[in-house]
Order: sequence, then C-alpha cells, then structure tokens
Amino acid sequence: MTDDDAELVALIDNELDESRRTALLARLAADERLRQRYDELREAGAPIAASLDALLEQAPLARLRAMLPAEGPVRQPSGRLTRIALRELAAGIVIGLLAAGAAAWVALSFGLLNEREDWRTAVVQYMALYTNESFASLNPDPSLQALELKALSGQVGVELTPDKVALPGLRFTTAFILSYDGSPLGEIAYVDATGAPVLFCIIANGAANAPTRTEKRREFSLADWSRGGHGFLVIGRKPREQITEWAQTLEKRI
Amino acid sequence: MSEASRREVRAGLEPSLARLWRYALVLSRARDVADDLVQATCLRAIERADQFVPGTRVDRWLLAILRSIWLNEIRSRKIREGGGFVDPEDVLTTDGAREIEMNITASAVLRAIDRLPEAQRETVLLVYAEGYSYAEAAAALTVPIGTIMSRLATARAALAKLK
Repeated sequence: MTDDDAELVALIDNELDESRRTALLARLAADERLRQRYDELREAGAPIAASLDALLEQAPLARLRAMLPAEGPVRQPSGRLTRIALRELAAGIVIGLLAAGAAAWVALSFGLLNEREDWRTAVVQYMALYTNESFASLNPDPSLQALELKALSGQVGVELTPDKVALPGLRFTTAFILSYDGSPLGEIAYVDATGAPVLFCIIANGAANAPTRTEKRREFSLADWSRGGHGFLVIGRKPREQITEWAQTLEKRI
Repeated sequence: MSEASRREVRAGLEPSLARLWRYALVLSRARDVADDLVQATCLRAIERADQFVPGTRVDRWLLAILRSIWLNEIRSRKIREGGGFVDPEDVLTTDGAREIEMNITASAVLRAIDRLPEAQRETVLLVYAEGYSYAEAAAALTVPIGTIMSRLATARAALAKLK
C-alpha cells in the first residue's frame, strides 16, 4: 500500500472534502500510474458490498428467530455455549432490569440445570443472586402493580390481583416472568422492612396436586404446593414458620 | 419515553437479525459463537431498552451492542479457548463441512475478507456493507478517520492482489 492509497480510496468512496478532492483530481489528470492505481483499488473494492450481502443469505434465520426473547414463554436455547452465556448474563440481566425499575416483560430461559432437577432448585439458585438492594428501590403505584399482576396472570394462567397477593409485613415491588424448561414461571417479588426479598413463584407445569410442604435449602426457607396444574412456591431468608404462614395465606386465596 | 423505547427496540430486533449475524460472524469467525453473540445482543438490547432514544437508528444501536459484547465478554474467552486467532480455514465461505454455493467472485472476495486482520474486516463490513460513513465508522470504532481510511485502503490493496 502506498501513501496515496488512502487518499485514492477516500476519493473512490466520495469521502474527500472539496479542496483535497480537487487537488487529487488534478494529480490524477497528470499521472498515469496514479490513475492505474486508482482503477486497481476501485475494481478491487467494487464486489465487496455484494459479496458481504451474499453472507446475509446464509444467516440461520429460523434458529435466530427462535432465540429471540418472546412476550410469552421461550423455548430452551440451543447451542452448547448458550447455556453458559445465559448463566453468566442472567445475574446481570435480572438484577439490571430490576435496578432500572423496569416492569418490562422479559422471558428468560434459565438453562441452569438439566431436566432432572426441579424448578424449585432453579428458584433457589437465582434467589441466591438477590440482595437487599435488588428490589428495595422499586415502588410501583397501585395501577402499575395491578398491570404487572394482570400480565403475569395471563402468562401463567392463574388469576392474580393486588389483594390476592398482599402479605402482612411485606411490600410488593415487582412481578415478572421467566421460563423454566419451557413452562412459564411467574415471580412476584416482595421486600420486608429491611429490603430483604421474598418471592412468590408460580409455574404452569401441569404438576399433580400436592399439599404444602416446607423445607430449608441453604439459607432459605421454602414452602411449596401444587394445585390445578400449577406449582406454587414462597421463598425467603426467613424462619420456616413465617414462610409457611405466608404460603398458607396465599394458598387459601388463590 | 420508556414505553416507546421498549417498543422500538422489540420491533427492531427481528428485521436486524441477519445483519447482526453477519457482523457477529465477521467478528468472531465462528458460526456457533455468532449465534450466541446475536442472542446475547438481543437480550442485552431488551435489558437496556430504556437507554434507546426513540426515533434514532435502532439497527446501529444493536450493532454497537453486539460489538461491545464481543469485545468485552466473548473475545477474551475465545482467545483463552482457541489460542491463536487467524484460523486457516475459510469461515465465511464454508459451513463447517462444505463449501457454500455462491458466485465465484463473491466466494473469492469473502475468502480474502476472511483473511484480513479483525480491524480491517470490521471496518470493511461497517463502511461497505452497512453503509457507515467514514466519520460514523470512526465514531463506532473509536479511531481517527485517518485510521478508517488506511484500513480500507489496505483491505482494497489486499483484494487487488487477487487479480
């Protein structure tokens, strides 16, 4: 490449300002070798746009479309790197969304576990990502709360209203949708007075009816039950009795 | 503004998929990485939708996000995994196993682009395929306009040698 090449290319691409253009055109008029170089560079680059457009035709559109986050549940992403990528992004995405106060509907597919693990384990895993700052700043007005719950109802197929999900000692902060293994997984996030999060999760997984049972996993207490093809779960860093009380309140209402 | 931002970002994703994939492939030179890069871009775009200014070019905004994820997150992992960078094989014209059918010139040009260093490859794509002006490309790649000019000139000179 000669020093002139850059100027010639800028002329070819019509990016030279008036004075430089005039000067270069004058040189070209007088210099045959320079004219040849101009032609070489021009011809070399002429097919570039069309060739790169040919690449567009190779795009695996069906697969890419399937990977788009949808308004509703999302299929499991394919590709061996994708699960890792999503896990690494997941903490950032979920906490980022919440920190922005966004009540956006995002369906995320958490391929955190293989199919043999159950959805409650997935909830425990990402519950561990939340801090007292994750939800505490969110303060939706009643109409926004009703809107979020209505949208979530539509996704999981369980009727939810602010009254139905209100719990003593807890403040509603946000409701959003994830998906686990292809089933819509709704999350309602509350905080207590210190900002500590408590989640009420609902999954439309066709599970058989089961009465409330409680357990402790890591530093969390969980209470879960199934009815009508849905699994329900309340989880938080709270004593088992408190979680169980909240779960029983919700179970009666829903 | 938030609602309009989110709507425009969502609406802009699907029409941009093929171009995002092309950019991802040119950057990463690996088809599986390109898929993941596109998906990560779409997720990040939705996450950051509130930052998008309605009425501005959502396609360029998406390309910028893709570049950022490539540079900050995926590129270094690929270096650690793959060791070297310029794989000898033709990524733009083969599908892992077989040659992709296209006209002879396109194939030769893509093979040549394939062999360019990443900075030139990327500049060629943004200016000649995506229609960025020199100034826009300089801003997108945070280099002086003179660097854009010399990268394009070097790329054209390399292609000129094909004759």
